[in-house]
Amino acid sequence: MGCASSKQFKRAPRHGDAALLAKETTFSLDEVKALYELFEKISYSIFKDGLIHKEEFQLALFRNSNRKNLFADRIFDLFDMKRNGVIEFDEFVRSLQFFHPDTPMADKIAFAFRLYDLRGTGSIEREELKEMVLAILNESDLLLSDDAVEQMVDQTFKEADLNGDGRIDPDEWKAFTSMNPALLKYMTLPYLK
Amino acid sequence: MQLEVMANRGKILMERYELGRLLGKGTFGKVHYARSLESNRSVAIKMLDKEKVLKVGLSEQIRREVTTMRLVAHKNIVQLHEVMATRNKIYFVMEYVKGGELFDKVAKSGKLTEGAAHKYFQQLISAVDYCHSQGVYHRDLKLENLLLDENENLKVSDFGLSALSESKRQDGLLHTTCGTPAYVAPEVISKTGYDGAKSDIWSCGVILFVLVAGYLPFHGSNLMDMYRKIEQGDFRCPSWFSHKLQKLLFKILDPNPSTRASIQKIKESTWFRKGPRGTLAVKERTPSENVTTNAPPTAGVRPRKNTHEDVKPLMVTNLNAFEIISFSTGFDLSGLFIREECRKETRFTSDKPASAIISKLEYVAKALNLRVRKKDNGVVKMQARKEGRNGAVQLDMEIFEITPSHHLIEMKQTSGDPLEYRELLEDIRPALKDIVWAWHGDDHHQQLE
Repeated sequence: MGCASSKQFKRAPRHGDAALLAKETTFSLDEVKALYELFEKISYSIFKDGLIHKEEFQLALFRNSNRKNLFADRIFDLFDMKRNGVIEFDEFVRSLQFFHPDTPMADKIAFAFRLYDLRGTGSIEREELKEMVLAILNESDLLLSDDAVEQMVDQTFKEADLNGDGRIDPDEWKAFTSMNPALLKYMTLPYLK
Repeated sequence: MQLEVMANRGKILMERYELGRLLGKGTFGKVHYARSLESNRSVAIKMLDKEKVLKVGLSEQIRREVTTMRLVAHKNIVQLHEVMATRNKIYFVMEYVKGGELFDKVAKSGKLTEGAAHKYFQQLISAVDYCHSQGVYHRDLKLENLLLDENENLKVSDFGLSALSESKRQDGLLHTTCGTPAYVAPEVISKTGYDGAKSDIWSCGVILFVLVAGYLPFHGSNLMDMYRKIEQGDFRCPSWFSHKLQKLLFKILDPNPSTRASIQKIKESTWFRKGPRGTLAVKERTPSENVTTNAPPTAGVRPRKNTHEDVKPLMVTNLNAFEIISFSTGFDLSGLFIREECRKETRFTSDKPASAIISKLEYVAKALNLRVRKKDNGVVKMQARKEGRNGAVQLDMEIFEITPSHHLIEMKQTSGDPLEYRELLEDIRPALKDIVWAWHGDDHHQQLE
């Protein structure tokens, strides 16, 4: 994981930057400023360079900077829009808006799709689903037989892969999530409002 | 239509079935008689336009139910042999039931005797109970879905297939072309979300009423009037209904789904067990009377919402793989915004069956002097008995099934003071240790400390 040794020190966002973010996201100017305080707290927790590194993200989420978690990794990777190994303030704001209660469901659905499309192929493959199932079972300390895992993956995959081509494409994902709204509960954070 | 019949007749479907005459045209699409070329077995094949089905939406729940229906067999359920699909069509290959519809029988004779209705009702409850135990709900039970075999035994059709009904729109309202919202439970009318088990039970009550009365319990001059009556549970039993039957009907047609009789309670009722024999017919509805030993007094007077509703069995939500994934602590960004101590949700996994989890939760609640209220969709509600700084602390414990022997339990504060809730949680956590496999997001902390 690249700890981009970015020398750029980010101070409080200039008024213009904050206003632009407020204009282009669901957040108001005041909310953007509040988010900056949060961002500052996280981004100065370990490396003190005004950028959120993976370890800092893990520390903020789990109170533990070494805790590896596939799903937290996915969130981090999606937040890191420029893919330079760190989350910058504008990436932080633009990504968090997907979790805003007022953000349209369609946007949340699309964001979750990208989370699950582990290899970025534009569709969710069966192996990806299985990898994620194994990760959550491991995270929950649940030991399921291989058969039980296969069956669970098969069943869900069959339900979601409507045309049966072995891939869940964005349309199928949309259909699947709209039938299972509970699936996206984590995509809405009441604290953002 | 005639032309279509001609066109389809004699046609071989998927090289496996020879199509015969049109049996009916229901809300689902057309149903044809057919014969299996391999076994020569008679079957009925329901044909649906894939496009239409996709438009209505096929929920994951329904897909699971259809899958389940292929695996279950019950003497009072029309067996679903297989589901086939082509690019444009979906075919449900089902058991062919010869005896016709119970509807016709009632229509012909006006109404049934309590004795005859008793037999069909027992078979209906047996079928519904069985399917519910398999996690399959009907959601559209009505007289028209009850068929008879050549031995006059009841066969319930379309179990788990209701979502395919074209009459059901996404808005949650039921528009039945044949005008029968009369079987629909009040909570289905008023809300979009409802419990399939409870609403099926309501429909069974309407069916029972229709069989013995020969007419619908809820009718009005217009649709709104009818809905109002359903929502208020406003119906009257005709004079020929026996007292025991009336008592049972008032328990089933209870507009409040949480106090409505469960299948278990129905099975325990005197009328269900013994039938009309020996029970005296009474002229009018009698108010509550403690006559039977094991059934609570409910006839006539509806129990108010009470604090302890012990409704069994408690159905727990079965999670699909994506739902399980969504419970990952890695997706829970709330940690960025609030302190750990202020989190409202706590989760743990358990390797105990749902029934053991529920009894443990109840036991712990009792020990900690909490009031327990069970809900049917896998949620156990608890409430502190004394008022706190911000009202009484309340919490939900929701049980989700990962596999039949693995469950995920989410505890969530729903009201009261957060600090008081944390204190309560400090007591609850150790008390639950027998059923807890692992607390979510906890293990690593313990290792660290």
